[in-house]
Amino acid sequence: MGFEIDYLALAPELILVGTIIAVLLLDLVLPRSAKYLTAILAVLGVSLSALPLLIMAVDGTTRSMFDDSYVVDIFALVLKGLFIVAGYLVLLMSVAYIEGDRYYQGEYYFLILCSLLGSLVMASSRDLIVLFIGLELTTAPLFMLAGWRKGDLKSNEASLKYYILGVLSTALMVYGMSLIYGLTGEVSFAGIAAAGGSPSIEGGETALGLAILLIMVGFGFKVSAVPFHAWAPDTYEGAPTPVTAYLSVNSKAAGFVGMLVILYLALPWASDYWAPALWIMAAASMTVGNLAALRQSNIVRLLAYSSIAQAGFMLVPFAAAAVAGADLAEAFSATVIYLVIYSIMNLGAFAVVIAGARKTGTGEIDGWAGLGTYDGRLGVLAAVFFFSLAGIPPLAGWFAKFVMFRSVMTAGGTSTVILAVIAAVNSVIALYYYARVIKAIWLDEAPAQVHADADRAHVPAGSLRLALLITSALTVLVGVYPTLASVFGDASRVLAAG
Amino acid sequence: MASVGEEAHVLSDGGALAQYAGILMVLPFLAMLLIIFLGKRMRYDGAEFAIGAMAINWLYAVALFVLNITQGVARDVQYEIGRIGMVGEHELVFELGWVVDGLSTMMFVVVTTVSLLVFIYAVGYMKGDVRVPNFFANLSLFAGSMLVLVAAPNLIQLIIGWEGVGVASYLLIGHYWEKHENSSAAMKAFYVNRTADVGLTLGTVILGITLGTFRFTEIFEAAEAHLPALTGVAVAAGLLIFFGAMGKSAQFPLHVWLPDAMAGPTPVSALMHAATMVTAGVYLVARMFPFYEDIAAEARTWILWIGAITLFVTGLLALVQNDIKRVLAYSTVSQLGYMMAALGAGGYTAGLFHLWTHAFFKALLFLGAGSVIHAVHSNYMSDMGGLRKSMPTTYRTFVLGALALAGIPPLAGFFSKDEILATFSHEGATLVMWLGIVAAFVTAFYTFRMVFLTFHGPYRGHGHPHESPRVMTVPLIALAVGAVAAGWVNIPGVFTGFHHWVENRSVFVAQEAATGFDLAALISGVIAGLAGILLAYLVFYPERKSQAERDRLEIPVLYPLLRRKYFLDDLYWYGVASPLKGPIARGVDWINTYVIDGIVNGVAGVSFFLGQFVYKGLDQRGIDGLIGGVSAAADAAGSSLRRLQSGRVQHYATGFVLGTLILVAAIAFFR
Amino acid sequence: MELFDQWGLTLVIFLPILGGLLLAAIPRSQEETIKRLGLLVTAGTFLLSLGLLVGFDFGSASEFQYEVNAPWITAINANYHVGIDGISLPLLILSTFITLLCVVYSWNHWEEPRNPKAFLILMLILETGMNGTFAALDLVLFFIFFEIVLLPMYFMIGIWGDKTVRKIPGFARETETRLYAAIKFFLFTLFGSAFMLLGFLALYFRSGVSQARTFDIPELIGIASNTPELFAGQFGWLVFGAMFLGFAVKVPMWPLHTWLPDAHTAAPTVGSVLLAAIMLKLGSYGFIRIALPVLPEAARDWAPAIAILAVIGIIYGSLACLAQTDMKRLIAFSSVGHMGFVMLGIASLTDIGINAAIIGMVAHGLITGLLFFLAGSMSHRYHTREMGRLGGNMKLMPILGGILAFTAFASLGLPGLAGFWGEFMSLLGAYNPASGLSLTVFRTAMVLGAIGTVLTAGYMLWMLQKVNLGEPKAEWNDHHFHDVDRFELAAWVPIIILIVIIGLYPRIVFAASTDAVIELVGNAFGSSPTAGLGGG
Repeated sequence: MGFEIDYLALAPELILVGTIIAVLLLDLVLPRSAKYLTAILAVLGVSLSALPLLIMAVDGTTRSMFDDSYVVDIFALVLKGLFIVAGYLVLLMSVAYIEGDRYYQGEYYFLILCSLLGSLVMASSRDLIVLFIGLELTTAPLFMLAGWRKGDLKSNEASLKYYILGVLSTALMVYGMSLIYGLTGEVSFAGIAAAGGSPSIEGGETALGLAILLIMVGFGFKVSAVPFHAWAPDTYEGAPTPVTAYLSVNSKAAGFVGMLVILYLALPWASDYWAPALWIMAAASMTVGNLAALRQSNIVRLLAYSSIAQAGFMLVPFAAAAVAGADLAEAFSATVIYLVIYSIMNLGAFAVVIAGARKTGTGEIDGWAGLGTYDGRLGVLAAVFFFSLAGIPPLAGWFAKFVMFRSVMTAGGTSTVILAVIAAVNSVIALYYYARVIKAIWLDEAPAQVHADADRAHVPAGSLRLALLITSALTVLVGVYPTLASVFGDASRVLAAG
Repeated sequence: MASVGEEAHVLSDGGALAQYAGILMVLPFLAMLLIIFLGKRMRYDGAEFAIGAMAINWLYAVALFVLNITQGVARDVQYEIGRIGMVGEHELVFELGWVVDGLSTMMFVVVTTVSLLVFIYAVGYMKGDVRVPNFFANLSLFAGSMLVLVAAPNLIQLIIGWEGVGVASYLLIGHYWEKHENSSAAMKAFYVNRTADVGLTLGTVILGITLGTFRFTEIFEAAEAHLPALTGVAVAAGLLIFFGAMGKSAQFPLHVWLPDAMAGPTPVSALMHAATMVTAGVYLVARMFPFYEDIAAEARTWILWIGAITLFVTGLLALVQNDIKRVLAYSTVSQLGYMMAALGAGGYTAGLFHLWTHAFFKALLFLGAGSVIHAVHSNYMSDMGGLRKSMPTTYRTFVLGALALAGIPPLAGFFSKDEILATFSHEGATLVMWLGIVAAFVTAFYTFRMVFLTFHGPYRGHGHPHESPRVMTVPLIALAVGAVAAGWVNIPGVFTGFHHWVENRSVFVAQEAATGFDLAALISGVIAGLAGILLAYLVFYPERKSQAERDRLEIPVLYPLLRRKYFLDDLYWYGVASPLKGPIARGVDWINTYVIDGIVNGVAGVSFFLGQFVYKGLDQRGIDGLIGGVSAAADAAGSSLRRLQSGRVQHYATGFVLGTLILVAAIAFFR
Repeated sequence: MELFDQWGLTLVIFLPILGGLLLAAIPRSQEETIKRLGLLVTAGTFLLSLGLLVGFDFGSASEFQYEVNAPWITAINANYHVGIDGISLPLLILSTFITLLCVVYSWNHWEEPRNPKAFLILMLILETGMNGTFAALDLVLFFIFFEIVLLPMYFMIGIWGDKTVRKIPGFARETETRLYAAIKFFLFTLFGSAFMLLGFLALYFRSGVSQARTFDIPELIGIASNTPELFAGQFGWLVFGAMFLGFAVKVPMWPLHTWLPDAHTAAPTVGSVLLAAIMLKLGSYGFIRIALPVLPEAARDWAPAIAILAVIGIIYGSLACLAQTDMKRLIAFSSVGHMGFVMLGIASLTDIGINAAIIGMVAHGLITGLLFFLAGSMSHRYHTREMGRLGGNMKLMPILGGILAFTAFASLGLPGLAGFWGEFMSLLGAYNPASGLSLTVFRTAMVLGAIGTVLTAGYMLWMLQKVNLGEPKAEWNDHHFHDVDRFELAAWVPIIILIVIIGLYPRIVFAASTDAVIELVGNAFGSSPTAGLGGG
């Protein structure tokens, strides 16, 4: 017990901190022409921070600090791994993109790394305070990153919206947390869980309900679940695409992990408060997200709504299990698996968007017509990622959907069956708009006159190509041999044990 | 009715000759393939293959026939072609093979003889035709299928042969398919037969599943043993199978296809639509006779009456035809009616005997008609007349055939028709007997009307018709011999060989034949025939009557009725075919496009609409709308910055509140 | 041979897709190499499948042979479990056979936009999916293979499909046929299989009651026969319903069939052939392999409904054919009718009926496949499929016309050709269905089915008359047609020969299927229900 620090456990975070400082300093000294070095440094730092994770994973012992409020167990390791890999991929996508508009490169990487650091902290958090710090550290930098293309009004609007609503949601969440503390007198999840059902609570039924409600709202915003999704499309469209990718993967994942950890570890006993809310959010997110996506003509907006719908799918297992009062461990692992697979394929999809946007010079789907005919390789990659998102075997997406349905069926019960059917119907609708992109790329003839700022000869930067390679390879491999992904699910089971 | 299966005579297994009788079926198909691949290169367009194969077959058939005459054969050879499952404890098996017994050997002879002669005749008749190789290939296909049918030891093989001849008939009726009405006639034939085959198929299904076998012998044994399982369904199965027979043997009211089938070249009409294929139905009933004889006896009443109606009403139709081939066609239908009715009455021998004699004289008449048509290039008797001088051989043989058909002693038709009439009276079907006698009168009348209109009086056609080449006349003469002598093999009281030959079967058929003369029937039959000829002579012998006077004979009601063929064709066309093809089919297609797909596309449309609503309505503006915000101004505003100031974000924020409220509602609802 | 028993089947499944990867590596410009390699791969696959046939022990055709069972997704206890018995063997060989012929036919028939590389790669992926489905013995594996075929077919229809623009009823603006057909096909199938998957999962969890949860088909069948009550009742009924959606869409059964005419009409020739010859069979095969043996109770409840839908399909399909003006669309609708007979056989739940379904599938695969080849070659020459403009084909192209006539007769179920057995036997099955099924329903179905054969003859001969017979239309007068070329012959003659052989010697199918079917029915529905001697 006590406060002695396990440096190995903190190594990833520490390495990131180091990198962040280094990037800042380097940015000061470097001439504009050499700023790209910051990028390289960032990439190196992130890759380096993965090393201790591997060591700990091999070692496999659970390490906890600060009165168990900061725990590094297999689950934390797995998530940190996911965040780092995702961050790494985003960096790869960013390099060329940010180099493109030549300013504040250093700051860009500084902010991204900060956000990444936040998500790492969050993965280990086992009490409200650490959770909150991690979560905000993850989100705050993104307010600025969203508005990165400051020349562009859309970008400004995006960041401003994101900022205002973000702050609002944060405020609500903090309020909720403080209420919880007030009711239970505990900040650690274990403590809150233990205090569950104790007399002090009995009185504050409404207070408890309100607290949970506010927390749900806060996280609902972070994972852009309906009805707290309104910011997502505009922000996604306005922000620089790599940032959008980061938003739709890392911050979303962080939000999910935060929400599930707090509900699963701290508030399982209050499930009949939050279960219905989850159920509604899941059903609404799937339906609204998919239906709205049907009408999108801009590929980024389409991905925005798709990610809203995907968030819905991710909520399904937990909601179903909770509503049916079934074992949450199953649902938890299902969600984590879904999260992992979603991150990979969604990042891939955004990488394709970055490359494709340069080639076609537009984000309008119709503008992508015939892309497959003049760049077959990119066309194939697009097909891989979008059909994977649609859940078509043998691409990774099918397994995500599969585990989702599986955990729903485990839960059993009428309300869950309804949810399953909603999910089934939605997965059919989803196919339509994902296929629409592929239809434009492969089935439609290329437009007669090339778009003004299209650059068909453009060859994606090496870093982006690497990102595409990694994501596509993983998408196919996991699809063919899903055991690769299911280890994440198993890892998440340790929570059930611990 | 005497019981089946007396141990009267012991039958031989026919030895090697029967063992390899399968060759009969194989050779024609071999010929067909050779013609398809080599036909064009041959001197006679491949006819030599067809004729060669058929010659060998004929020798083989005669050998088998003799074998049966001398020692009485009953032999089944079956090879399994597939075991498809269990029926109770039985394995249900498909088999192919051949049966060699009195019935099949008799049919072998008929089929091969007529085929051979017709093939030879066709070499002359089809000279210079558009596609002779096809013609002979199809003829071989027919001959092969017919032999498969006749040799069938089980219902499955019978069906295979049955449909095979159907296809051959389709192909040959439509030989001149450039003309739409020819191909339509071919289709009509196929449709009518296919419809009838539904009966045959279902009958086979019932027997097969009930007994766990398709073998005739086992079916008959079961029938003989009055198996309880069988008695329940016997009559139904019997009727269904007979329905199949009605199609092929053109029994009323399914006879409509046969007259149209005359669109095919005349040799085809002679071979298939007179002598052999159309007798397949009669053959089927005869083959199934042990079944109909007793356990399905009730079905026979139907057979009797359908036959009776057919022989009477279709005979009348022949009276009003101008197309010589159609006269013969209706006459054929009517004669088939005789055969069916005879079997229905229980006259196994009588029916088969008439089949046997009819094959010769009707083939003869058709080939004679063909020779005439060949000469005058027209089917219409209005273009003929006075041909007896220019075509003596044709004339003589034709008259022989006509006399045989009219049932004038001592020609073939006389004996067989008499035996049928005798059977009727013997079985107490007196009414049918009188129908038969009247029909005999009608037959003689239209037959000689045809003779007189064709061969007597002035020539009404064009050009100078002259006798057909030897290759055509020789078959005529050969058949004429048959038409004269074929009847002498079964003269009651004198020599009843035929009766015994066809009795030889593995399951013995014992109907006590109408042996001995039935004088009443005999005399009235002959008188009817002579009277018919006389009347024809009075009316149509040209020196006596003018066309005008003949026209006065056209009886008011009957004549138009006959002209329109009892309106049956109209019934089938306007009542069945065209509605199916027209409104009904179009209706189904409409349902497909506008109802089912309408729903499918509707669902798509609805989800689009919902998407529109959710996106534009709720997601983008809804919140403004809900709080009655300044959305109008906001959307009108130009730059996105002003849009920003327009308070969109506050709207989103209110969205939060709204969402929170929703969740509250949810929790309240669920708890 | 030990090695072959171990790897033969796996090779047959994955050789095509490996070949596809290899093709992907070859630059598009080297067309000859690409074609040769494609031919090599499919031919190799076919020969391997023949190897399976040779090594197949017909004595124990009811047991799974060349079985491989390796761990795959350990987390959910889904395994790579493949094997073939007498039921899957004929279909597996049909699949490799037809695919090979498709490559042969494609040799000089490339639809625009010409891209043999992409086309062959898709074809090979497709083959892996089809072969895999026929071999899979694990529900998840089955599902994956079942779905893999979607993407290639979507692209085949979408890229090389019919480009004519037409007004789709219920749609605002008119669109290209291929686009509509491709997405319609995709959505329909996905809709079905989504529910099928739910059904599989339900089985998976229910199986956990008595033992470790499993997706393994033989194990599930074992459970079904050991503890019938487990899969019985409402649960079974619902699960069967879910599977029904998945399989019935693929078959397709009325009224879930409407994707078929569009897909067939729009698809490029080879696409239609593969679709008709093999992909439709995935559905009916699913019924036989999974739905019936695992859920016998529910099967009994559903059988009458299936029989009725099947018969509606037979009559409806034939009537719809009579209203078509597009030759390919007519053939497509004929598939609805023919598969109706297959489903009628299955619905009877008797060994004879299911046997009928199997030989019916093989026959339909060969015959309708050939019909689509012919339709493709004709529209290749006439540049139209409108029967109103065709006619006198016999005069212009005697050989092609002759083959068309032959195939049409085969398709109308002419006894002595392959098509007959399936139809006839499904009537046999329907006359006396499994004990407990309503005789009234099934015998009515039998009669209507028999009448359906007349309608089939109706539209087939009508098509022949319009296309083959009569005088050629004036517009073709100064138009030179070349009759069948050697690639077409190479692709078609084998099919023709097989149609005749199966027609006269169906044993080459029954030898494999019969014992397996008897076993299956025996386990699922008790001994053969047909009355036989002594019964009623």
